[in-house]
Amino acid sequence: MNTRSIRFRLTVWYAGLLALLLVLFGGSTWFGLAHYLHRSLSDSLARQAEQIGENFLLDVQTSGERYVIDEINEHYSPEQNDHFVRVTRADGSSLYVSGIPIHKGFDPSQVSASPPVSAGAGSREEHLPGGGELLIYSLPFTARDGSRFVIESGAPYDAIENTLRGLLLTLALGLPVVIAIAVGGGYWIMRRALLPLDEIAGGAERITSRNLNERLPAPDSGDEIERLAVALNRMIARLDESFQYIRRFTADASHELRTPLTVLRGELEAMAQYPCLNGEMRDTVGSSLEETERLTKIVESLLAISRLDAGEAQVERMRFDLTELAVTTTEQMRLLAEDKKIELEVETDGAAFFEGDPARLKQVVVNLVDNAIKYTPEGGVVRVSVRAENDHAVLLVEDNGVGIPAEALPHLFERFYRVDKARSRQMGGVGLGLAIVKSIVMAHGGQVTVESAEGKGSRFRVELPLANHNQSITSKSSQGGSNEERFTT
Amino acid sequence: MRLLLIEDEEKVSRLIVRGLTAERFAVDVAADGSNGLELAQTYTYDLIILDLMLPRLNGTEVLRQIRAQNEHVPVLILTARDALGDKVEHFEIGADDYLTKPFAFAELLVRVKALLRRGAVSRSNVLKVADLELDRLTQQVRRAGQRVELTAKEYALLEYLMSNAGRVLSRTMIIEHVWDQSFDGATNIVDVYVRHLRNKVDEGHQRKLIRTVRGVGYAISDEEEG
Repeated sequence: MNTRSIRFRLTVWYAGLLALLLVLFGGSTWFGLAHYLHRSLSDSLARQAEQIGENFLLDVQTSGERYVIDEINEHYSPEQNDHFVRVTRADGSSLYVSGIPIHKGFDPSQVSASPPVSAGAGSREEHLPGGGELLIYSLPFTARDGSRFVIESGAPYDAIENTLRGLLLTLALGLPVVIAIAVGGGYWIMRRALLPLDEIAGGAERITSRNLNERLPAPDSGDEIERLAVALNRMIARLDESFQYIRRFTADASHELRTPLTVLRGELEAMAQYPCLNGEMRDTVGSSLEETERLTKIVESLLAISRLDAGEAQVERMRFDLTELAVTTTEQMRLLAEDKKIELEVETDGAAFFEGDPARLKQVVVNLVDNAIKYTPEGGVVRVSVRAENDHAVLLVEDNGVGIPAEALPHLFERFYRVDKARSRQMGGVGLGLAIVKSIVMAHGGQVTVESAEGKGSRFRVELPLANHNQSITSKSSQGGSNEERFTT
Repeated sequence: MRLLLIEDEEKVSRLIVRGLTAERFAVDVAADGSNGLELAQTYTYDLIILDLMLPRLNGTEVLRQIRAQNEHVPVLILTARDALGDKVEHFEIGADDYLTKPFAFAELLVRVKALLRRGAVSRSNVLKVADLELDRLTQQVRRAGQRVELTAKEYALLEYLMSNAGRVLSRTMIIEHVWDQSFDGATNIVDVYVRHLRNKVDEGHQRKLIRTVRGVGYAISDEEEG
């Protein structure tokens, strides 16, 4: 699952928010209910204490304490109702204490002494040592004759606790289920809503510079998705137009430049065959022919670069072994090196399968190796190596030749840039070799870099992204440096 | 041998006609597509050289109509359009060869002759230039009876030169034939190989067979270098 997809992120956000809201809601319900239950219990206890006071205790000196006891037992029968009732005199002695309730929830004798008569009315919670938790409301009361009492009315609150525990359990069990359903449903809805986006992305992926006439499927839904598809289609149409323009321009320009070059070359060739030419004239014609040839090469190279830069994939992309290509190409150039008494070394590290245009990549190898040989003096070394590094194929061409001055490095891959004008012209170059290398590498989604120290040599590094579904690429693992790791899919 | 050239650039067609006439071909010229098609449909030609960007009727259409009527006449496309797609398209329609401008006349001539020879190929197994012999079967080369040891590339180069003996071959032609297009950049690989070949073939012999035509290329022949 792609954890960065909108679908995933929205679902996570939505699930998180929902869970938070549900927890908040459950929490406030729980606290509200707890508060309400406590209040209503303590209210009823207070009412009971007040009633005991008003009804039985007010005239205690006329009715007698026995009457009070009987009335309380008769009206409230605390033992039956699991209630606790105690009436305490001002000196701390009990006038009345209810007995052990029939459910034996608590032992009234264990309840702590009542607060003094001078204390205010209020409720307290008692945790009895023998078990049982009571909420006790105590009310100071003054009878008509001025004698003072404390009336205490209590009840166990485990009923409340039980209710709250039940609620908590319901919430704890229900919440995950609700969230799971919501997440599942949300993910499904999101999937349905985003499916057209996937289709658009897939369609856009298939469109390259070669099939710009194709369009994305635009659903007739009138929503944002349709707008996106339509906008993308318009963009593709504009791209198509500009690509066509470039192609037309390239074709026209090539035609316009090539025809005069054809004539020039043909006329000169015919002239070179004239038997009446003397040596000097023959030389002049030959020199003109050489320049015509150079001009032709410049035109060809420029056209090749502009096509590559326009992203026009010239040739089908096919799978081939870059290592093999580099090795055979370098071998073909061995004589060039031997001719200058340069040692040409090839270093490889297993096959590196790559998807691209082998003819163009061969040109990369030719241009770089040719360059290295040209700018390395006799007795030097040129080393070519190919290896796989993570998901890249790396082609290195190193030499210990004249090197490149630092100020020239940034311009090295520009068209017509020459480090040493006189020298490179004498070598027969047209100043486009490295520009072509760069265009080819870029057209394959790779990059080319150069390091150099003047007088010590240069090192050109071409990095090409290996196809994702590569079969076996032997690669030196960066951690272990062992050669045994083999990535196979 | 009667050829038809359909080409709208007057200077280019004059050049081709002059060259081909010198090689004893009879050449008719049409300066636009519909005129060319008319000629092609009226007379029987041994070969048609066809430009693609033509006024009135473009070369692709001319080719299509020629092929609709005549299956056999060889057609060589001569054009400034070098995109791979163009080449494939025209081969599919029925072109026999494809040459991009600007071209060396020698190359056009080699291709024209190859197309005309086609069908009745008589490739001799032994090529001879003066006292230099190349046997295609055994891949052995002898100069004045003495065995000459060549590398594979040197052999391919010599065979190409000798099978076109007396004709000047451009560096581009040699590269495309002996190596491949990737080498057609700034490299001087042809010159290096020719020098090595010379050392083996001509060194120590009075008569030098391989000659350089400045600005054009190389040739092998038993005429003395002039």
